[in-house]
Amino acid sequence: MSSISSHHDAKPKHDLKIALHAIVCHESKLRGDITIGAHTIVHPRATIIAEAGPIIIGESNIIEEQAHIINRLPPGADPSSQIVMEIGNGNVFEVDCLFESTKMGDQNVLEVKSHVGREVEIKSGCIIGAACKLTGKEVLPENTVVYGRNCARRIAMDKPPIQTLQIEFLTKTLVNYHHLKKPRSANS
Amino acid sequence: MIKTYYESGMGLSTERQAVVFDFGDCYTKVGFAGEAGPRSIVPSEVRCPKDGRTRKVFDAVKADEQYNLLVEFIHNLYFRHLLVSPKDRRVVVVESVLCPTSIREMLAKVFFMHFEISSLLFVPSHVVALSTLGVNTALVVDMGATETIVIPVYEGVAVLHAWQAQPLAAKAVERQISDMLQEREKSNQSEGYANLTEKMIEDIKVRACFVTTLGRTQKAREDKPCPCPPSVNYLVGPGSNMLNISGDIRENAFNILFEQDADQISVSTMMLDAITKCPIDMRKPLAENILLIGGTSMAVGMKARIKEELSYLAASAQYSEKLKLRTFKFHSPPAKENYTAWLGGAIYGATDIVSTRSLSKEAYLKDKKVPDWVSLIYNTLNEGVKRSI
Amino acid sequence: MAYLVRNDIVQYACTCGQLRPISFLYFCRHCLKLRCGFCVCHEVESHYCSNCLEILPSAEARLKKNRCQACFDCPNCLNTLAVRGTTVSVRDPDDPGKVNSQKKYYHACFFCRWTTRDVGLPDQAVQTVSANGWAQKNTSNVQRITVLLEHAKLLGMLERHEREQREKKFTARFRRNFTHLPGLTAAHVRKRAGLPPELPAPSTIKVNLAEFQPAVAKETVPELPTDIFTKELDIGTVTTLTQRFAQPETQPDSIEGLLPSYKHLSTKQSQRCRECEHNVSKPELNPASIKFKIQQAAYFYVPEVRIVTLEPLIGGKPSEVVIVFINPSQHPTTLSFITLQEAEEEIKQHQTEGTTDTAVQQGEAPLSLSSLTKPVTVVEEPRPIDISMTGEVQLPAADVEIVLPPKDDAAEYDDSGEIQQFHDDPKIVIHRRANKASLRFTVVPKTDIAGENCVIGFAFRYTYVNRISTPAIATSEQKPQKVQLCTRIFMNCGKILEGTQ
Repeated sequence: MSSISSHHDAKPKHDLKIALHAIVCHESKLRGDITIGAHTIVHPRATIIAEAGPIIIGESNIIEEQAHIINRLPPGADPSSQIVMEIGNGNVFEVDCLFESTKMGDQNVLEVKSHVGREVEIKSGCIIGAACKLTGKEVLPENTVVYGRNCARRIAMDKPPIQTLQIEFLTKTLVNYHHLKKPRSANS
Repeated sequence: MIKTYYESGMGLSTERQAVVFDFGDCYTKVGFAGEAGPRSIVPSEVRCPKDGRTRKVFDAVKADEQYNLLVEFIHNLYFRHLLVSPKDRRVVVVESVLCPTSIREMLAKVFFMHFEISSLLFVPSHVVALSTLGVNTALVVDMGATETIVIPVYEGVAVLHAWQAQPLAAKAVERQISDMLQEREKSNQSEGYANLTEKMIEDIKVRACFVTTLGRTQKAREDKPCPCPPSVNYLVGPGSNMLNISGDIRENAFNILFEQDADQISVSTMMLDAITKCPIDMRKPLAENILLIGGTSMAVGMKARIKEELSYLAASAQYSEKLKLRTFKFHSPPAKENYTAWLGGAIYGATDIVSTRSLSKEAYLKDKKVPDWVSLIYNTLNEGVKRSI
Repeated sequence: MAYLVRNDIVQYACTCGQLRPISFLYFCRHCLKLRCGFCVCHEVESHYCSNCLEILPSAEARLKKNRCQACFDCPNCLNTLAVRGTTVSVRDPDDPGKVNSQKKYYHACFFCRWTTRDVGLPDQAVQTVSANGWAQKNTSNVQRITVLLEHAKLLGMLERHEREQREKKFTARFRRNFTHLPGLTAAHVRKRAGLPPELPAPSTIKVNLAEFQPAVAKETVPELPTDIFTKELDIGTVTTLTQRFAQPETQPDSIEGLLPSYKHLSTKQSQRCRECEHNVSKPELNPASIKFKIQQAAYFYVPEVRIVTLEPLIGGKPSEVVIVFINPSQHPTTLSFITLQEAEEEIKQHQTEGTTDTAVQQGEAPLSLSSLTKPVTVVEEPRPIDISMTGEVQLPAADVEIVLPPKDDAAEYDDSGEIQQFHDDPKIVIHRRANKASLRFTVVPKTDIAGENCVIGFAFRYTYVNRISTPAIATSEQKPQKVQLCTRIFMNCGKILEGTQ
């Protein structure tokens, strides 16, 4: 993984570090200091904005269309302070989800139109159900499933598996239909 | 075993089984006669088609509204839960003896005029609950949603003059929880209270609260409280609003049923009063055959507390002269308490009584009235006269 | 297109007094009256599973307690469970060296991610779980209840014995009449006569009663678990009331006890007019089909009324409202307008005529045997319509008749553009197209009620061609009959604005 850039004055617009074998479509909207790990797939129309600090995304994640991963500057906060958003491996960000928190573990699934607020910390194996909004301040224990209109919780037996098959399929087919951003490491 | 005409086993009879309803203020139990449990336990609510609100079925003020709500509700019960046509089927309604006559008349009107059933039988819940035990004598305590009703039944006959009824039931406990949470909120500024709906308070009552022991309550009154049980975090609605339900609330919410109010009445004194009002010879069999039915009696620790309270009160100054009882025995019916009355109705509905004692459609249509124990017309005993019931 | 979503704007008055939009009404072709869901008799036609769309015959449905045998419901969130398969390597019992791979199935809920493995149910080798598979029943209770049922039946029989002996209904003569016929037993005779089955002798009943064991009360009661005061409670492990009521007989306390239940079936219903006992709506038996065998919806018989344009409504001032009438039938129809009072008087007149007819018939009825066997028809009285007018509508004169041409399904493809000549008052009929006509009415909202909805009501008469021959009409006349029918309409014209006079 690359080191975190620490230029306070000049924030490079596209400080992208894309690892080898990561598929990042050209039509995706990436702003700020973003590091994307190997085998991660970023669909077109995905949005990753690193406003308040760098975003480090791990390996084998799938970020689908219209997913928003935003490291937002809270209103009234010091623009020079940097908060790193770390995302682990094997996560799935489904269509139109919004992720604003700072930390995420491995093998989580954010279902369609879910919303994870700033103060929520997600460990591993969690599934945030479709249209569920988590806005308060809390730490979700491992393997939590949030579902239903009232965001009911339960603890599942095991984590959702890494979508290896899907990643392989997308790696083969996305190339045929979209322009991809070239992998760039920190040294180049 | 007599098997010639009455086929054993449930559901194999060629005759159409009667439908058994137990309408409660909060939940309605519905199923078929002769079965071991109701098909569904549904909330007594109806979704108003115009504005989408849910309304309680027995809440209406005007007769028209009540009729419409009942029609809608019973329609849902038949076509969503029972999945049978109401027409030309017998119906058994398990009702409390203290059910208002207007509700009875309205039910009869709805069933006969709108749904065209073939016959209707009202059975008193306290008496039929005994058929789930096979005994004839018991002190039946029905702890429901809005009120607790105690009626002794001796040799199959309800001793009506000894009835006791108090609004010390589920709603009282929920109100207590709500009050206690509001107090906490004022003192601790805890969030989340404002969003609590009735359903959530009911959920808190069922899942987090329990009935504590008499010993601990007495110690708390003497200002020597025992350490509280741990508090519980309850999720209120979407977002992450967590409401902290302190151990104090968890333990003491149900005490409202046992605190003696200004008239020194609590659930346990009601039971002893009912026994006291009965003749002396009945008292011992009643005390040794206590049957608790109704959803509120299923709370964790309820039966243990009632036993403790009865033993304590019977020995205390209030009752030790009037009652010389010291042993109290409880029955356990072969059903969960919240549908024991329904089961009694289902057992009755499978026998001949449903064909001989029901009010048939023709009889109802003659004068559009339901025979009621309150009215003297149906109460004068005349051996030679054949009655329609 | 607002009429698809906001269907409470134009409402028709059903015969029973309920107000419904046209899409919610039926039209009985035999009584020639409107019927709504309230005044029609609903019946269950067939049972089917909404997941696998399998039909169950009603007898089987009753036996299986209205549950599908192949589909399961998640006990946690009450959605349907899906079957997932995994491949498991199992050692072959005969040949220790070999490792077989077997397909094992478990059920999972896609909504809350609950699986059967969460409660410890073993994976099944077959895809469809048989009835003895997972859902367990509380058998000890069931046995006791069977015993109680028998006991109650015996008591009932005893009571009947005593009553019959008191009333002495049976005479020996009655029994002798038919038993000489071969093949008939006393049981058959009783059944023919409509009497309940014969009772066994009281002595046998009493013997069986003596075998019964009543319940015994105990002094010990379930105690409060002592660790409740110290143990941390994770409220997520306690079941909610809804989850408990999904399995009423077991009602588990904790989520460990939640077992999947068989999926509840759904029904297809048919509707029947209460007066003439004909079906007004009858769906097809196939659950996958949305068609109907009989579908007499009012939409296909009664002209539809829609609001086209509205002028802003100000209290006391006349405003224009343009309303379109659409003719749904294959015959031309003639419309004429009358006020609500006239319509109500007509209805009352029809009712009194109807009762005099039946009174004549009833005079003969008590003597005929058919009245004993014919079931008593119960008809609820029509109620007064529960709506208050907040505006007046000025209708065209009573003699004005608007002709609507028949509905022609091929009209949109027909380019010939034949224009029929109608002699219309241009002040009333603004626009015509195929089977529709837009008419202009004037509405005067009431004063001093700004902010409320302006509700107007009127009635219109239309001609309906009745293709059903009723017994009342002589069978020699096979020609379709033209009948004048009348319908009452109530319209919500929108909010009355605040305005100066």
